[in-house]
This record gives sequence, structure tokens and C-alpha cells, in this order.
Amino acid sequence: MTKNESTLVLILAGGVGSRLNNLVQTRAKPAVPFGGIYRIIDFSLSNVMNAGLTQVGVLTQYKPLSLMRHLGTGEAWDFTGRTRGVKILPPRTGSKDSDWYKGTADAVRQNIDFIKAHPSQELILLSGDHIYNMDFDDMLASHRDKNADVTIGMMVVPKSEIHQFGSGITDENGRIIEWEEKPKVARTNLASMGIYVFNTQYLLDMLDHDKEETDFGMHILPRAIENHNVFAYPFHGYWRDVGTVQAYWQANMDVLSDDAGISPEEWGIRPNVEENVGGRIADKADRPPARFTAGCNVKSSMVSAGCVIEGEVTNSVLSPGVHVKPGAVVRDSILFHDCVIEEGAKLDLTILDKRTRVGKDTIVGFGEDKEPANVQYPSHLYTGITLVGKEVEIPEKARIGRNCIVKPWAKAADFPSLEVKSGESV
Amino acid sequence: MNLKPSTLAMILAGGRVNELNVLTHYRPKSAVPFGGVYRVIDFALSNLMRSGLERIAILSQFRSFSLINHIGIGAAWDMLGKNRGVSILPPSGGYGNTSWYKGSADAIYQNIDFIEYHNPKEVLILSGDHVYNMDYREMIAYHREKDADLTIACVQVPMEKAHRFGLADIDNEDGEQGGRVQLYKEKPDRPQCNWASLTVYCFKPKILIDILKVNASENSSFEFGRDIIPRLMYEQKKVYGYKFRGYWGYTRTMEEYWQTNMDLLGPEPKIDLEKWGVRTNMEHRDVCECQPLKIGPSASIQDSLVYNGCIVEGRVERSILFPGVHVKKGAVVKDSVLFFNNKVGHGSRLEKVVSDVNVSIGKACMIGDPGPVEIKEVTVLGWNNFIPDNTQIGSDCTVYPALPPEKFSRKIKTGEMVR
Repeated sequence: MTKNESTLVLILAGGVGSRLNNLVQTRAKPAVPFGGIYRIIDFSLSNVMNAGLTQVGVLTQYKPLSLMRHLGTGEAWDFTGRTRGVKILPPRTGSKDSDWYKGTADAVRQNIDFIKAHPSQELILLSGDHIYNMDFDDMLASHRDKNADVTIGMMVVPKSEIHQFGSGITDENGRIIEWEEKPKVARTNLASMGIYVFNTQYLLDMLDHDKEETDFGMHILPRAIENHNVFAYPFHGYWRDVGTVQAYWQANMDVLSDDAGISPEEWGIRPNVEENVGGRIADKADRPPARFTAGCNVKSSMVSAGCVIEGEVTNSVLSPGVHVKPGAVVRDSILFHDCVIEEGAKLDLTILDKRTRVGKDTIVGFGEDKEPANVQYPSHLYTGITLVGKEVEIPEKARIGRNCIVKPWAKAADFPSLEVKSGESV
Repeated sequence: MNLKPSTLAMILAGGRVNELNVLTHYRPKSAVPFGGVYRVIDFALSNLMRSGLERIAILSQFRSFSLINHIGIGAAWDMLGKNRGVSILPPSGGYGNTSWYKGSADAIYQNIDFIEYHNPKEVLILSGDHVYNMDYREMIAYHREKDADLTIACVQVPMEKAHRFGLADIDNEDGEQGGRVQLYKEKPDRPQCNWASLTVYCFKPKILIDILKVNASENSSFEFGRDIIPRLMYEQKKVYGYKFRGYWGYTRTMEEYWQTNMDLLGPEPKIDLEKWGVRTNMEHRDVCECQPLKIGPSASIQDSLVYNGCIVEGRVERSILFPGVHVKKGAVVKDSVLFFNNKVGHGSRLEKVVSDVNVSIGKACMIGDPGPVEIKEVTVLGWNNFIPDNTQIGSDCTVYPALPPEKFSRKIKTGEMVR
């Protein structure tokens, strides 16, 4: 891939992703760990890198620290060098406006100075919270080929799902002639992925038009489709929003499967392995290879470097440094960095955030039924998944049911009893 | 505060070591892969990093590319900055008599200008070939305390193996810590003592430079063990032995290399990589881009180390797999060390094999004799070999790198060398 210096990239990474509940209590959605060693934004960043794009702005807003630490200098994605760079663009107070980003278009408008400081022909605008593999170079070629003002990445989805998306009706040339935001009746199978190529000057003109237009999907695009050349770029393949706990869990499980169509390594997705606990990387060991002791039993799982497996692990995704002790059982679960599962503990359908410890003989994900849903957040947890926050200490011999939430940093004293019934929270 | 480092460290990393054979056809021994993701030299570099010694020279001459690539800019060991850095010093032409490094002492001799330029208080010379965990600061403190001309780090080895090492008879001046070296013998036939030199030397720069200059004009082997230390002893210089009591893994023969790898396994591994704080260069071979290890539904992994980027669908026992190894369904890998990107086909069986990078083994191959691991020797496969389906290779065999497929058309018997 040759370098593409005439296109600027803006990644929207400010999303709260509140339906991910605990997982976004200390970090923005793009910074949520995924697939063992990645974070969600690695997919967008790597797609950008693999297209030879060299100038990137990342627009942050909500809890950006974890994300900023993760991006670092951008070296992990080859964004360092004389003509390369990745810049964090937080909201700021200007001469008149002093507000948080009011919408996608407003976020871009507030960074017009950045756009002008990096002269470009085209600008790619994308979201940092999706799991997918896309060839932006090909999309750019299509954009130029069609002489488009705007090109929108559109996924081909079953018509039954179109009601969740912005959808575009195209003519025979692929030009979008009508736009519907979350239509009740499906007239097309093309769903917007929130990935746009703009001619830079065209975008600047559009943003200049009316400061009240704060959202691309709601305001800018309908006007552009009515008056100018907006084309669809169809995308076939794996794309997930992972905006809910269930979708997040499923996408992780998809990485385990051979035929779900997701393969981070084959896609050329790069994590940032240098990032480390507490930001101190210089005097720490690198994660050694995963160690499997005699008598362990691991099947259908992803296991990262630095793990020690002495017990049983099935159908699970383990981030670096997880320790599963003898007699412990982990099933259908996602364990973030440096979790410890003590002897005899059992986990089923559980997501553990970083550095959580599960005490001896404790069961998390207890009960035959996947119900009831979480009492506090019935729309977040209703499929049986139990969510345990960061650095929790779950006491010995506890029973934690389905659809439970344990808040980050909960210690033994925070557990009212050793039994947390399905649907309850700690 | 003076931030300029007072100790200059020089790593001898030029050696090829014949006994490691096909593993060192294309790389110096210090760059030989070890322990699932590391190179042997990572241990010396990580020791230096944790000892706060970050002004380093690496003397290298044999097929240096792999080593240079691995060291990179030294950032992996935090040796990048105003007073930190790694300089790779190859033999170089110049005004006067210059040549390839004729021996370890000659390698340092040819870089006296480098030592003088940095003007350190001590020169720490070490080998890049050993697996151990040591804080050099303690040894340097001892060296200073004794005002020694040379301090040699020594470790106790079994008497029956002592004849293979440089041996120092250390007196009891400081008991457990060390003492004056009374006698030094390089690989004696009949050892009198068993404190073996780790080839970690701490020198006063002036003493070092003077003796190297004398040595250079002689007709000798230009080795520290054979020439320099005996001469210092003869001149009654202050030579001290510093007693090291930790694990020391040496990798001079294939069997030792294999055994040192195996010391990473078992219920209580002798080598604790995390505790030792071992770092490596994740950029080398793009290790950092590997996804986590993927384990299939019918896989079994017992007493093994496996790094990211591997796919295990078969059985792995007491083995070490580097990134990119794929063990397919029905395949069995036992007591083996498989370097980067090995592929083991359906139904193949490997027993006590060390296989260099990019070896693809077809289906239903048998490599290494069955039976208990103690009674057979290692079979070594050189890099870039495509081993066809149904190939049979015994134990104690050596297969040269990148051979054409017809070399494997017959059964390769135990003890054979295929080239």
C-alpha cells in the first residue's frame, strides 16, 4: 500500500456507549477491551493504517484518559514520522462557543481549524466503536471514480434489520436519491455504517451553511442528498456495533468461531502491546508466553500471553495475565487483564473487567434459568450474562446468579450476603 | 547530579558456537530464539536494564542481521535517551592492522577507542549467550569495595561437569559473597574446584586496556578465559570472585539448549520469566501483531508454554511454541521446541524435536523416536524446510536448512545428518 497523504481521517471516539454499563464506567466505548488483546478502536485505527492513510484526528469527549493512554504516540499503528501523525481532539472552549460536542457534525465543525491545518482533497469520517474490516482505499477510489461530493459506506443487511439504521435508496448508478433515518418500512437493504468520505472543501462549505445543523444523519446528509452527488459504497462482510452487552459478548464469541467471518490477525488489526498497567512499561517484564500446567483442560478458547491456566477453560476469551487456578472452571466467559480465578471457583456466562479476583469455591453465573433480567437495568442485562466491574474482590464461597451487576472496586464488605440472586446488583 | 553512567557494559555476542549447528547457520548464538518469544540475548539485556546499566555496546560479527534486527534502537530495553543507548560494534577496517575479531579479548581490544571515549569507572564485559537473572549492581558494588582490578562472577557447577568451564578457586575472604581468586584454570582436565566463570567480568578500565594491548602483540588465542585472566593472575593483580547463587542456563550444546528450555516447564519452573522481568523486542518478527493463542475444540495442552499467534487443534505436551505455530487436528507435539511459524500437519507426531523458523511438516509424519524422553537425543530441523507427508525421521538427527523434498523420500534413521 502506498502512502495516501491527500486524505485526512477523523475518528469519532467520544461515544458513551451507556448500554455497555460497567464496561464504560471508567472508559469510553472505543477503549473497551475486545478479543483478548485489542480495544474496539483498534479496528478503525488499523483499517486506516492498512489503507496507507497517514493523518488522523481522534475526537474524544467522554472519559478519554484510557483512550489517550492507549493511543500513545500512535506508533503501534505506524502513525509516527515526518508526514504521519495522530492527534487527540478534545472539545474546547472557543471565543463564543463553550460547549461539549452537540452532535457528529458539531464535533467536526469545532475542529475546522484542524482540518484546515492539514490540507486535504478528501476527508474520511468514521466512528471508532465498530468491529469490522474495510478497505478505505477502495472506498476512496470509488468516491473519486463517481465524482461524488459524499460517499457513504453502506452495509448490506437483511431488510428486517433496516429499522435500526439510517438507510439510503439508490438509483442504478449507486447514487443515493432518498434518505430515511430508522424507517419502519424497509425499502432497501443498504444500512449506513457511519463511515463517510467527503470532498474536504465540500464538507467545509456544508458545515458553514447553518450552525444549527449538529448531526450528519439528521441534518447534513438529507440536504446533501437533495442537492448534490451522494453515493453509496456497499460493504459486504462482518460489521458489528457491539453497543449492548449481549452484542459485545456475541462478537467476542465470534472470534472463537472459524466461520463467523471475523479474524483480527488476518485483517491486519494491531493492538498496542506496549500499553501497560499504570502506564509504567519501562521496568516491567513483557508478558511471557501463556503457561499451561499438567492437568489443565482448555478448549475452544482464545488465551493471551501472560496467562497461567491450571484449571478448565471452555469457549472463553482471556486477556493477558489471567490466572485460572487448579479446579477452577471458566465457561462462555470474557475475562479482562490480570483477573485471578481461585481454586474451585466456577464462572459461567460472565464478563470480568480488569484485575478482578474471584474467591475460592465461588460460583458466578449460578442458576439454571437465564432469567430474571437485571432489576436495575433490565434493558442492559437480560440474556443471562453477569457483569463484574474492575478490581472487584468476590469473596470465597459466594453464589452470584445470572444478569447480575457487581460495581467496580466492590470488596468483600460490599457484598450484603454470600448469595446474590439472579437480576440483583452489588 | 551526574547522570552520566559510570559503568560501560560490553556484550560479547559474536560467537557462532558449532555445537548449536543448524540453529546458528544464519544467526549468532545470542540471537537464537528461546522460551517461546525471546532471544537468548534478551536475558543479558534485561539484566542490564534492571541493573540500571543502560550504556551498552554489543560486539557482533557472525551473521549479525538477525541480532541487529532484534536490538533495533534498544527501546525495548529502555536503552534510548541522552545517557542511554545500545551501540552495535562490528569489526571494522581502519588505519593500521584491523581484522575480524580473533577472539573475545581481541573484540574488546579493537574497540579500546570506544571505551576511552566513554571513560567509565568500570567496564562490565558479559556474554550474550546465557540464561540467568542477575543484578549486576551487587557485583559492581563488591568490585568497588574490594578495589579489585578484575571481578569475575562465578557459579557452582557439579564437579563432574566442571572440566567444561573456566574455574576459579575462590578463597574465603568474604565468605558467601566472594573472595580473592587463588587460581584460575580454563577448562582443566582434572578440576580442583567447581566455581565456574559465568563470563561476567568487571574490569578497571586501565588494567583492561593495558593487558589487552600486551595481549594483542602476542601470538595467543585472544580469549579472556585462556589468555587474559591467567596473565592477570600471573601478574598478581587483584582478581576477585563474586559468588552467584541463582539459576544459570548455558546453551552450548543442543542437549543443553533443549534442557534450558525445559527448565521453563514443570510445576515450579526454574526460570520465572515474569519475576526475572525479561523483556524482548516485540517489533521483531511482528510479534506485537499476533492475535491471542487460539485453541480448538479437540485440543489438549499440558505443561507447555504457548505464545500469541499460535493455533492449537491437536495435542501439545511439555513443549514450547513460538508465535505463529499451528498444530493441526490429530497432531501430537511432545518434549519439543518449535520456533516461529512452524506448521504441524494432521496426524503427525513430534518427539523431542527442536525446529527452526518456517518449517512446515506435512501429514502423518513421525519425527523423533517414540519412548521415554531421557533415553533419546534431540532431533534438530533447520529453517525453511517443507517436510512432505508420511516422512519418518529418527531421534538425534540433524536436518540442514531449506532442503529439497526428495531428501525426505527415504526413512531417516536415528543419528543421521541430512544435508
